Amino acid sequence: MIRAIASQIAALFVDDGLLAASVLCLVAAIGALTLSGSWSAWVAGLLLTLALPAALAASVLKSARRGTRRG
Amino acid sequence: MPNLTTMVSVAGAAFLASLVEAVEALTIVLAVGLARGFRPALTGAASALVALAIIVAALGPLLGAVPVRGLRFVIGVLLLMFGLRWLRKAILRAVGILALHDEDAAFQRETRELAEAERPGPSGLDWIAGAAAFKAVLLEGVEVVFIVIAVGAGRGLLGLASAGALLACLVVAGIGAAIHRPLSRVPENGLKFAVGVMLSAFGLFWTGESLGVPWPGGDAAILAFIAWFLAVAFGLVAFLKPRAAGLA
Repeated sequence: MIRAIASQIAALFVDDGLLAASVLCLVAAIGALTLSGSWSAWVAGLLLTLALPAALAASVLKSARRGTRRG
Repeated sequence: MPNLTTMVSVAGAAFLASLVEAVEALTIVLAVGLARGFRPALTGAASALVALAIIVAALGPLLGAVPVRGLRFVIGVLLLMFGLRWLRKAILRAVGILALHDEDAAFQRETRELAEAERPGPSGLDWIAGAAAFKAVLLEGVEVVFIVIAVGAGRGLLGLASAGALLACLVVAGIGAAIHRPLSRVPENGLKFAVGVMLSAFGLFWTGESLGVPWPGGDAAILAFIAWFLAVAFGLVAFLKPRAAGLA
């Protein structure tokens, strides 16, 4: 039961692997470049604001394509 | 001192998210109670609440030890993963690509499985029923604890977020105790849609703030992010719905 609970807790954050990986990679890349001083913080804010909804849209559209193909 | 916008957003997000989790937990506890008796159902649920209290008591002091900026970053990223996951599913359900979550069907399935499962021995302890209620309440409760910490810890509003979550759990438990049926009329996908939007907005805000982003308007930017994610989500639904309907 502990294993089942642990796997369900992990599933709280990861459903579509592509979406989870995209979020982690985007935040890591934007964060690393911001903290290293490659660009100013407001650019990071703009990129996060645009890139995260884009990752959501990519994941939804991918799932929709698969779903409608199956249907 | 957090402003009113932040306080209402934190309490509202915690209340709505906890409402969804409490409805799901209630469905299982009711199924256990009606199929195997309310003694194991309530014992399992109470044991899970004790386990949750231990988790909260253990995690609480740890939160204070983590630097605020690091805490906001971790919470922000986890909120983004959690919120975008909920929002993605809610969009796909709104479009009709994923089936809507049906509390009545979940209740019937759980009741059937429990009715067919092995009955307790002479000792009288119904472990199967107790474990089912324990697992449901623990899992949904862990989600509630995470949401409370995630939306409340970033601005020191854990008390307010806890109050919102507690109110939601009491409302659901009260209605469940009164009607003894799953709350299938709760518009679960609409709630998940709203909560996904709110948690994603909080996640974007905390993540950016931990990186030093000077959000215009301060905490009020959370409202702008809510509007932004809402626009993106509605846009995706509007784009996909005719295509999904045409292929159905």
